[in-house]
Amino acid sequence: MATNDFRAQQSANKGKTYFLLASMGLLTGLVAYAALTYFGAGTSTFMVPLAVGISLIGVWGSYYGSDKLVLKMTGAKLIQREDNPELFNVIEEVVIASGLPMPQVAIVVDSAPNAFATGRDPEHALIAFTTRILEVMDRDELQGVIAHELSHVANRDTLVSAVAATTAGAIAILSDFLMRMMWFGGGRRDRDSNANPVLLIVSLFVLILAPIAATLLRSAISRRRESLADATAVSFTRNPAGLRKALEVLAADSTVVHQKSNAVAHIWIESPLDGKAVSKMFSTHPPIQERIATLRAMESLSN
Amino acid sequence: MEIIIALAVVALLVLFFIAQYNRLIRLNIAVDESFAQIEVQLKRRSDLIPNLVETVKGYAQHEQSTFDAVVTARAKATTASGVADVAAADGMLTQALRGLLAVAEAYPDLKASSNFLSLQEELSTTENKVAFARQFYNDNVRNLNTAVKSIPTNFFAGFAKVTEREFYEVEDPQERNVPKVAF
Repeated sequence: MATNDFRAQQSANKGKTYFLLASMGLLTGLVAYAALTYFGAGTSTFMVPLAVGISLIGVWGSYYGSDKLVLKMTGAKLIQREDNPELFNVIEEVVIASGLPMPQVAIVVDSAPNAFATGRDPEHALIAFTTRILEVMDRDELQGVIAHELSHVANRDTLVSAVAATTAGAIAILSDFLMRMMWFGGGRRDRDSNANPVLLIVSLFVLILAPIAATLLRSAISRRRESLADATAVSFTRNPAGLRKALEVLAADSTVVHQKSNAVAHIWIESPLDGKAVSKMFSTHPPIQERIATLRAMESLSN
Repeated sequence: MEIIIALAVVALLVLFFIAQYNRLIRLNIAVDESFAQIEVQLKRRSDLIPNLVETVKGYAQHEQSTFDAVVTARAKATTASGVADVAAADGMLTQALRGLLAVAEAYPDLKASSNFLSLQEELSTTENKVAFARQFYNDNVRNLNTAVKSIPTNFFAGFAKVTEREFYEVEDPQERNVPKVAF
């Protein structure tokens, strides 16, 4: 029983990710279908691949160069073993536990305690810590944080979020194009004159609501991946208490990372956007108290 | 038409066999690699010991029996081979090192020396690395043993010359606590 819980957590979160990704695919199909109904085959066969293409190019670039790009966006500086041997010791411990290759390590000068991981695959992984998190956390807590970050690497979360971003992007571009065409009457020419009017109205609603739905799905996927990373972290360290204490330290600390760019919000261990600004459904992270409670439940199992 | 179907079935079967065979080989190699990782970390720990013993000796000359225990355990650990032997020697050395660090507790000057502090950090990270390497090895053994025993991979185990492997179990009296029972 003792070890079953994080495994159960892992498979549940993986299952939910697949379900959400499938919903995302379904939504794309629905949008494409709505476009087809509203504008007819002529416009749609051109617009749909174009939207997917634009989104793909945009996201693929940032996915492929994620380690370098994120360094630039967050102002993180790469460090070597000599710069902080103790931090490297703790990272090496978790690396051995996970069986992953050693990632690059970076430091962000910031007065808020936080950390993140990125990179297109385990060979190009990068984990970064703010200067503050290294000051406030003891060895066990830091080990938990590192395990959480390496879990993102092991679970290929950069890829998962890139896929989610591509689909959400394609849907947003597509609905934006089509809405514009609608105002300018571009669609009317090849619209099927004997299309069902109910279907037309439904299609219109789909086009209007799809981008919001896509954003919600994308946030939901991000939240699942955070929970999954917590569970995987426990599978590495077998010490839920370390990560739980680390999250408590983060929860107690009200300072937030300086740059609050929405674009990189999802990669930090604790959401850098403050709780009130984003509603729960749009949040990229599960509520921190919920994560603490899940880890506590694992602790009571392993004792 | 029938020939094409028959060929397709044969091709699929062959692909299936290859996949099962390769999976077993991969799991087996993972076990070897993770055992090598344990040995690397044990070696690192062995290398730290002479320095550590010398440092402690400088402050605590009267603890000869503790030093002897560490040196004997280290000698045994460096010559051990095979999973069970290495694990037994590892357990002994872990015990002896704990004794040595307990001795150090009684000497404030020693505890405050920068040399000892850095050695202590090195030793504790190495202990953690050894522990995680064991855990990773045992996870890999568990995956392999499950595959060797379960359908359909078990049919290919003999063919791939892959058998169940031994878990790395350390005798550690401190870890053998009375289990906590919760209702």
